Amino acid sequence: MKKRPVSDESLNRIIKYMGIIFLGFGIMLLAIQFSSFWGWILNAIKAVIVPVGLAYLGALIIFPLVKFLEKKGVGPRFFSLGIVFVLSVGLIFSAFYFLTPLIVNEIKNFFTDDFQVIVNYINNDLRDEFILGTDLYDKIFEYVNETNIISETLDAFVPRLIATVTNSLLPLLTAFALLPILLIFYLNDYESISENIRTIIPPRHEKNVAELGSRLNQTVGAYLRGQLILMIALGAVATIVYKLIGLKYYFLFGFLVGVTNIIPYFGMIIAAVPPIIYTFIATSGPGPLLVLGVNVVLQFFEGNIFQPLIMSHQLSIHPIVIIISILFFGSLFGALGVIFASPIAASIRVIYRFFSDLRKEKLRNSLAEATGS
Amino acid sequence: MIKKVRPKIYSKYEINSIMFYGTMILFMPLVLVFTYVFDIEYVLNINSFLFYLMISTLALTIIGSVWLLIKKDQLQRHVKATYMVEFYYLVAITVFGLLGIVVLFDYLGGNRQYIANILILLVAVFVYILLRLGRKFFNFDYRKKK
Repeated sequence: MKKRPVSDESLNRIIKYMGIIFLGFGIMLLAIQFSSFWGWILNAIKAVIVPVGLAYLGALIIFPLVKFLEKKGVGPRFFSLGIVFVLSVGLIFSAFYFLTPLIVNEIKNFFTDDFQVIVNYINNDLRDEFILGTDLYDKIFEYVNETNIISETLDAFVPRLIATVTNSLLPLLTAFALLPILLIFYLNDYESISENIRTIIPPRHEKNVAELGSRLNQTVGAYLRGQLILMIALGAVATIVYKLIGLKYYFLFGFLVGVTNIIPYFGMIIAAVPPIIYTFIATSGPGPLLVLGVNVVLQFFEGNIFQPLIMSHQLSIHPIVIIISILFFGSLFGALGVIFASPIAASIRVIYRFFSDLRKEKLRNSLAEATGS
Repeated sequence: MIKKVRPKIYSKYEINSIMFYGTMILFMPLVLVFTYVFDIEYVLNINSFLFYLMISTLALTIIGSVWLLIKKDQLQRHVKATYMVEFYYLVAITVFGLLGIVVLFDYLGGNRQYIANILILLVAVFVYILLRLGRKFFNFDYRKKK
């Protein structure tokens, strides 16, 4: 069979792409030489991006409420915004005011009542009940004692943890202090800010960029609102069920279910581990099998009822894609990457669909032109 | 001629009625499920609390029914193709209401051993009711792929 020759057009395109790739590598190599300089700039950008990004995400949650009030005739903007703001702050404050003492109390009780029991269990009973045999347990124990692995790991880990916390505490506190102010100004001039951003875009692309921006806003907003409702609903259901089955520290474990549910699929598994371990060691209360069963049922309800109902149709991404994106973005951006993996995956899908729609429309238009002429 | 079966679309009056009476049926369990978490039984006398809760439910049902009757004409003019948000609301209150029924069973002195059996039975009944209601009134078939 005769091979088809490569056309000049394809060859030109290949050379162009290769040129771009090599040029990109060259620029990257050059940029690496000035890494300290980029570090300053990136830190400055990060200091701005974090509070502004948080304000943007907050606005995506709150703005529909402001719009809803305006639709009901509550206006002008600062009035409806004031109502929503006071309500939100009141809700957050009362949640902290009522729930924090309960959770703190349970943590205190845990350390006074059960912590010693767990330590005693590890020191005395674990050897006899070790699933892989007492010989292996003795070997592991000997190795741990000989190498001082625990103290070495702790010595390396604790200073690093303290440094990370102190380094990120001040920017984080600044971001949280600035957040309400930024949010008020952003929500008050929501439309005019969007309009001003639009004026920067060249007129040729203005319509497309505005359409893409609105689709992305819709997707990320739907995700954030859905996730927030899901966290509250599942946290509440878990707390109630844990109390019904007689689990001690039900508030703490239920709260854990709500908080970890921010990570799809993995969250529920992470939240199920502490109560199961606790029930293994505790002398009273429900057995570990019952707690495991409750968590499996909760997981089933979350995946099959809550998630499809609360999360909108736009976010129905295949579980494999979500898991891959959690692993990928988690390794790239750490904890934030894990939390925001699903909306990032959804946004990538929105961008891909937008460009594929655009291409289809272009093709349709050129076909219509050709048949017309 | 083959007649195409089209689902009947109900007005906001029917939907609001279902939502309102659903809420009222599950109102007592719904309140109980949240008070249970905060250990209300140690602070208040549970029997008088249940009594007052029943009276409030009755009062709210009467007020709501009168309001629905007053607004009947206005609500009957409003129609939506699907009532997804309303259905989500019904599912949410059912989930919490079911747990509340178990709490009520516990407060009324029922044997805790049978909680799981009662819960399974209730879940089956409520899921069936929700599926039927969703398909007939809310134009929302859960089993159908979107």
